[in-house]
Amino acid sequence: MKESIDKSEHPDDVPGYCYNRELFYGFDKERGFTRELSYQNQSNQVIIRQSWDALEKRLEQVQEAARSGNVSPIVYYMEKMLMELPMLSAYMGLNRLLVRWHMTPAGFRRLKPPMLERYARLFEITVEELKKPGFMNK
Amino acid sequence: MVKLDYKHRQAGHCESGVTSNLLNYYHFQISEPMVFGIGAGLFFSHLPFLKMQHAPTTSFRVWPGMVFNRSTRALGITTINHRFRNPKDAMNRLNEVLDQGIPVGLQVGTFHLPFFPPEYRMHYNMHNMVVYGYDKETYFVSDTLMEPVVEINYDDLARVRFAKGPFAPQGRMYYPVKIPAEVDFKPAIIKGIRKTANNMIGVPFPLIGVKGIRYLSGKMRQWERKLGPDKASYYLGQVLRMEEEVGTAGAGFRFIYGAFLNEAADVLNQSWLREISFEMGENANKWREFSYLGSRNCKKRGKPEQSYDFLADMLLEVADREEKIFRKLAKIN
Repeated sequence: MKESIDKSEHPDDVPGYCYNRELFYGFDKERGFTRELSYQNQSNQVIIRQSWDALEKRLEQVQEAARSGNVSPIVYYMEKMLMELPMLSAYMGLNRLLVRWHMTPAGFRRLKPPMLERYARLFEITVEELKKPGFMNK
Repeated sequence: MVKLDYKHRQAGHCESGVTSNLLNYYHFQISEPMVFGIGAGLFFSHLPFLKMQHAPTTSFRVWPGMVFNRSTRALGITTINHRFRNPKDAMNRLNEVLDQGIPVGLQVGTFHLPFFPPEYRMHYNMHNMVVYGYDKETYFVSDTLMEPVVEINYDDLARVRFAKGPFAPQGRMYYPVKIPAEVDFKPAIIKGIRKTANNMIGVPFPLIGVKGIRYLSGKMRQWERKLGPDKASYYLGQVLRMEEEVGTAGAGFRFIYGAFLNEAADVLNQSWLREISFEMGENANKWREFSYLGSRNCKKRGKPEQSYDFLADMLLEVADREEKIFRKLAKIN
């Protein structure tokens, strides 16, 4: 590996994940295989950040869709918990089609309080927040 | 209250680290790369039809549980593996085993692990850790990713053990029960190397092993045209995350595997293995370089040496190297 790789210029990078060192293996011809504790290097920080940026982008899109009444808040919270439909239905113990119905505004309006309670508990929020998420008022 | 005298050591890969630490608890000296190699953990597959976090799945290792099962079986160690239907049974059984003075390996989902770095909090159900004691509602945990030992309470532990989604752990717990007095490493190592070589070059399916790397390379060339720049860079990021992020010790386990070959050369007394281990190390550095240039691409620095074509060529080169290495390794005896 070239030396320049380790000392790369990333002036615009805020160090992200740097409070827990992990064990990394390495190799070079003189020393053979090495083990050392270190933080994730800069190029890895970039790709870790990328996934969170992508999530934020997705959340914005979902917020827009929820505000314009195309989807129910459940979709927003599902994305926020990094879930997808199969996982959400597995956690809820419900059929996928039923969950998909709850994802529509019409299906969401018809939800009974116990079911809302279950969704809220899964998303770790109150029922009020589930019914009227903060971003809806903007 | 139970708190065993368990030695916490960090490791590059959670499952081999846990296995090695569990065996070391019984004074059976085995290193992490050794477990990984004997368990034939190295792998490659790219499955574009299986989406994880909105991007195709790329895997650099075998299914969870395989490394532990294979390595212990090859060494003649008796183990116990449990899965459960409901959390209560799972937790009771865990307490019983801990009461007998046995540290227990657990498969868990990472999303609700309270001590886990928030950056890594995603629904990843193949994480492994060891519980080595409890005090009423608090459990003492040794997680090979974390620097210190950590604690977790009853509810959280029950929750992570029954995480849902792909590869759901279903409360899986495992521990060695009987270790033979005399263990011969040689046949186990040879078997492990053969298995890995077969996985990498012997599977007649285009998405697996060396062919899988070439397949990914071909796909990568089309990404920008077919998906647009944003999604293409996200897909590339996903490959790199699988390669570098959680618990691979870097370069998609290639460093660990090289270290294993190096150790195997001593045990088997075959010096040609050392040469190959160095080739593996060079190859791992190539993977590193790939992930470095790839991450620059993800930051949208449009230089020619970071384009998808360039990266794809790099993958082809890596595939050729690995094919050469495993063709030689397959002849081991």
